[in-house]
Amino acid sequence: MKSNRFILTFVSVLTLLILVLTACATPTTPPTTQAPAVPTNTQPPAPVIPTNTQPPPPTAVPTKMPTAAPVTIRYWHTHSDAEAAQLDKVIAAFEATNPGITIEPTRYAYSDFKTALLTAISSGDVPDVVRMDIVWVPEFANQGALVQLDGTLPDFETIISDVFPGPLATNKWNGHYYGLPLDTNTQVLLWNKSRFEAASIANPPATMDEFVQDACKLTDAANNQYGYAEGGTYFWAPAPIFYTMGGKVTDEGITTATGYINGPESVAVFTLLKDLNDRGCLSPNLLGGGIATDAGHAEGIYGMIIDGPWMVDIYKNNYPDFQVNFAPIPTGPNGTTSSVVGGEDVVILEGSKNQEAAMKWAAYLLSPDAQKMMAAVGQMPVLTTLIGDSSLPPYFAVFQEQLKTAQARVPHPRWSDMDNAINNAYQRILRGDQTVQVALDQAATEINALITGP
Amino acid sequence: MNWRIKNNLGKVVSVIILVLGLGIVLIPIWYMIITSFKPQTMIFELPPHLWPRTWTLNNYIAALGKDKFGRYFLNSAFVAVASTLLTVLVSSMMAFVFARLQFRGKESLFYLFLLGMMVPPVMLIIPQFLVAKWLNLFNFAGLIVVYITMNLSMQTFLLRGVFENVPRDLEEAALIDGGGSWTIFTRIILPISGPGIAVVIINTFLYSWEEFAWANVAIKNTNMRTLPIGIALFQSEHLTEWGQVFAASLVALVPVVITFLIFQRYFVQGISTTGLKG
Amino acid sequence: MKTRRGYSDLIPAVFFLLPGLVLFLLFFFGPMVYSLRISFFNWKIVHPDQSVFIGLRNYLRALSDPIFQRAVMNTSAYTVITVTVKLVLGLAVALLLNQTIPGRTFFRVAYYLPVITSWVIVSLLFEYMFNGQAGLINYFLKNILHLIPKNVLWFADPILTLVPIVLLDIWKGVGWAAIIFLAGMQSIPVELHEAARVDGANSGAQLRFVTLPLLRPTLVYLVVVLVIGGLNAYIPFQLMTNGGDPLDLTHSVLTLMYEATFSRIDFGYGAAISYLLTIFVFFISVIELRLMRRRVT
Repeated sequence: MKSNRFILTFVSVLTLLILVLTACATPTTPPTTQAPAVPTNTQPPAPVIPTNTQPPPPTAVPTKMPTAAPVTIRYWHTHSDAEAAQLDKVIAAFEATNPGITIEPTRYAYSDFKTALLTAISSGDVPDVVRMDIVWVPEFANQGALVQLDGTLPDFETIISDVFPGPLATNKWNGHYYGLPLDTNTQVLLWNKSRFEAASIANPPATMDEFVQDACKLTDAANNQYGYAEGGTYFWAPAPIFYTMGGKVTDEGITTATGYINGPESVAVFTLLKDLNDRGCLSPNLLGGGIATDAGHAEGIYGMIIDGPWMVDIYKNNYPDFQVNFAPIPTGPNGTTSSVVGGEDVVILEGSKNQEAAMKWAAYLLSPDAQKMMAAVGQMPVLTTLIGDSSLPPYFAVFQEQLKTAQARVPHPRWSDMDNAINNAYQRILRGDQTVQVALDQAATEINALITGP
Repeated sequence: MNWRIKNNLGKVVSVIILVLGLGIVLIPIWYMIITSFKPQTMIFELPPHLWPRTWTLNNYIAALGKDKFGRYFLNSAFVAVASTLLTVLVSSMMAFVFARLQFRGKESLFYLFLLGMMVPPVMLIIPQFLVAKWLNLFNFAGLIVVYITMNLSMQTFLLRGVFENVPRDLEEAALIDGGGSWTIFTRIILPISGPGIAVVIINTFLYSWEEFAWANVAIKNTNMRTLPIGIALFQSEHLTEWGQVFAASLVALVPVVITFLIFQRYFVQGISTTGLKG
Repeated sequence: MKTRRGYSDLIPAVFFLLPGLVLFLLFFFGPMVYSLRISFFNWKIVHPDQSVFIGLRNYLRALSDPIFQRAVMNTSAYTVITVTVKLVLGLAVALLLNQTIPGRTFFRVAYYLPVITSWVIVSLLFEYMFNGQAGLINYFLKNILHLIPKNVLWFADPILTLVPIVLLDIWKGVGWAAIIFLAGMQSIPVELHEAARVDGANSGAQLRFVTLPLLRPTLVYLVVVLVIGGLNAYIPFQLMTNGGDPLDLTHSVLTLMYEATFSRIDFGYGAAISYLLTIFVFFISVIELRLMRRRVT
């Protein structure tokens, strides 16, 4: 009994201490991320089911109308803490020049964001503006959840004339644009300089042929060292190599995958990767559950990986002594390089009651000012006019150069299933269950079914 | 004498077994603890070490220092306590009906309530959100009503079994004195069912403290978010600050441990003997 | 129905049941019916009125899908193994903890700790421990016990992946079962054990003839609840297999449902999967209850 009471007291005191600590550590800054405490039911009762059944017909571009009552725009995003703090400054700048509009940002954890969004959409109680993953845009557009922007957003044509083509393409579905590119990224080659020097290789590979040679030169299986590693078999991983070697998943109009995903270029890509795997130059972690690429690269286990600009922050946090080196994706047989586009688009949800103000906010996010501000926390701008801008972090340069040739993944509502088809084909290839051609033929059949299917 | 020696020997053996088992049980927990004191660079070092080579308090300072952490903690505490108390009340009332009262269709109704355990909760989130919207029950209220609902079936089921085990002779005495159902419920059944109620408290508190999916969508005011959401927010798309996640998770364990400590003493043999003595 | 008092207890019953019933109807039964309805449609989330009624097509699609069938197999195997082990170990631990031994409270808390850890954190930990190239388990098996020649790539194999998932659930659940058993043991009057001992029964016989029979309600409860929990497994599967990797062979029924609903936005199909699971769970539970429930005299 005595020990019982002792444990109880100890734990209670500990809890008390923790509470005191957090209370003291809490800075008393005024709430910047929250609009003045708004009771939850300020919005007029909305019908549960939105009544308009078609996207609004493209109207003439509206002239600047006087804003009547003060308006609150709800903006949902998945920014990190640091990015969210910077976002507050962007909001402040916007609100300063747009009196009458208040932006109310809400941060969500990335892993559960889609669930929260879908729940909100199902109930009809939607946020006005959302920063969403580029691959979701065609999906949500197909559901009728997004507002069409071409023909409705003021100055739409002007705005998009300045953005990278790859990121822009991610917003297009069924002949219309349902979002604006907001921030972008791509993948480039990361090479471990000390491993290269140890193998007497002076420079990172410039062509894919050199890449294969270097990968195997850098491999020393006995000492658990590999020349190249990928994070998994999902399409994003081999995508840069896929695109640089001229691979395509479907045709331009997204009507068929036959001759594309199982075409000669694509077959060459997966044959190359399978070959690397069979020779032991590719780390087996990609099949599942091995050492992660970021850790492995920094620790010298993986000589080369292909990854994105976030590695700078990751290494700063986790491996501060590691010097990361970037290089463009090696060129393919055509002598040209390419890579895959990632990033986020900004969209406006159907059911938003303040579409006009929402559009102003979305447009502002694409202004050079806003883009530069967010660039300071690692958000790569989508504006071509900002390439080489002095205010941008220096490591952006190699990524922005790569963005000129980077390609978007197939902007189709069923993309995640197509990704799965390619993922499974890649697995079967690596495991030797099917030859490269047969596996890709199966993927083509599955993808075709997705294109034509319900 | 013979029996007592055997008994004590049995106890020694038991302790030995328990200690051995403890090793397996505690290794992951131990790992959580030491990882929370490791600097970010060593979180996922391979091969793993069972003793950190460098110690730091930074994870705790950073995690607890995040301006909203204290608030998330208190929010969770409020919701968990409220949900637990109300669940105990509502489910014990319901369990009393099934254990002691009789009416036609009782068993069918019971099976209907059991359905509440059998449906995957995630399937209900969207329609529950619609109901919450209709009743304008979000944030704390929304959490509490749903938490009670989702626990009702399981806890009623448990308590029914507990109440049924209470000897009926006690009630005869109360009935003769003219007591009605409420008297029997509050004066006889509840006090005797200490262990069962303790289990309900522990389980419900744990559930409310850790629930994520509903809290993620039902809390509209970010100041009212609960701890699991707060901890999830340590993760961003590309970079997760695992040291802080571990530190925060360990701190989050504390209230549940306290609740357990408080109520586990009701598992002591002897408290709930027949009660006929005096 | 005649009661001891000669009339139906309906009126007090209604009074006691009302709060629970209201909550249940509003937040459970209503949503359940809503989901059921969705499962018969090709559901459109933005304009539900445009949803197309397709009858049982979602159900038939699930039942004939090899990925779903595999998920059912995974989930069933997982449930059978974890529930059995948790019951046995849980009982053992509860018996040990029911004695007046030094440090009893400490042991109880320690064995219960896994129960209150966060699923997300421990899934991660187990994933880390079972890392195919440099994890603790491989190190132990290969370098210390010399049981395996090469590192096992646990998560690259569709069947071996289930090992860490099963172990995680057992690790996390034994303490919970033990506590419930422990609570159940409290309602066994000490006099019965005394009487048995006086009659010459040793510990084993006491266990068989006093403890276990009187623990029957607890056992029933645990079997039902643990089986339901096992069939509803989601988080460890999701986090450790990333939704069916490799090759969609490691899904649990709920990860599949989640993918359908929140990843592919096919709410109707997801609801159908949920209902198939619910029906299965319901039948299993009813069978368990019928088989095991008997009044303890």
